[in-house]
Amino acid sequence: MPETAHMTERTFNRVSPLQDVALQGRFGADKGAVGVTFTVRHPMSIITVIARAGQGAATAAALKGHDAQWAGPDQYFVLAENRGEGALYRELKAKLSGLASVSDQSHGRVIIRLVGPRARAVLAKGTPVDLHPDAFPLGKSALTQMAHVGVHLTRVGADSYDVSVFRGFSESFWEWITEQAEEFGYQVI
Amino acid sequence: MLIPCPHCGTRPVEEFTFLGDAAPTRPTTNDPSTMEAWYEYVYLRNNPRGAIEEYAHHSGGCRSWLVVSRNTETHEVFGAVPARDFTRAKGAKA
Ligand SMILES: [Zn+2]
Repeated sequence: MPETAHMTERTFNRVSPLQDVALQGRFGADKGAVGVTFTVRHPMSIITVIARAGQGAATAAALKGHDAQWAGPDQYFVLAENRGEGALYRELKAKLSGLASVSDQSHGRVIIRLVGPRARAVLAKGTPVDLHPDAFPLGKSALTQMAHVGVHLTRVGADSYDVSVFRGFSESFWEWITEQAEEFGYQVI
Repeated sequence: MLIPCPHCGTRPVEEFTFLGDAAPTRPTTNDPSTMEAWYEYVYLRNNPRGAIEEYAHHSGGCRSWLVVSRNTETHEVFGAVPARDFTRAKGAKA
């Protein structure tokens, strides 16, 4: 093998596990405005941060300015769009050295965004978490289960939510959640 | 039953995995002189009717280990604390 072959940086196109499943279009009830609009956020940088013992406050402070979502006591998912492969991981690993353990979950999870007047009603079919804005305000996250799948749920807007699931569950979860939205009419963009 | 997770708020019992009585203290060495204590810890468990403090893992939520205090007879749940706080408090008492 020529010497240069070792130096060539190989790049892979990241393929969403929902690429051939989340087909675009309008589905379900076809009268009036759609109740929910689904998008698959892809490709994302998704980094798990777990604070070391006694470093919870310092870790939270160091994450200021990042899109850091609560994911358990002293634990976070830090998200970013349009960062290169591993870039956010390397940045946080350096920044949180000694404060927290950092691991790259970008390829392991899939984030589905629900937007629309019936988004909350769709999610409420699957979780016991109180999604009323008083109890679940903008930016709040919850770890729970929907349709037997562990989900990380975040309110990202007045009627917008992100649902993050393990990659391997994403196809069956997609089938379940879109079925719940059929009565309201939904679109995939 | 509803469990008040200190991290997640009130959640249904289906989200939790129970391990058992949190009262027995695990021996800390494998020294042969502790075999009797190990035997007692592993096999000789009570099965109380009434109040119990029990390990519970919020496996369908924040994945934290908790200690839930509840009543086995009435299914009343009195509260839940992080298991590490429970263990530290127990250590402080001993
Ligand atoms: Zn919890």
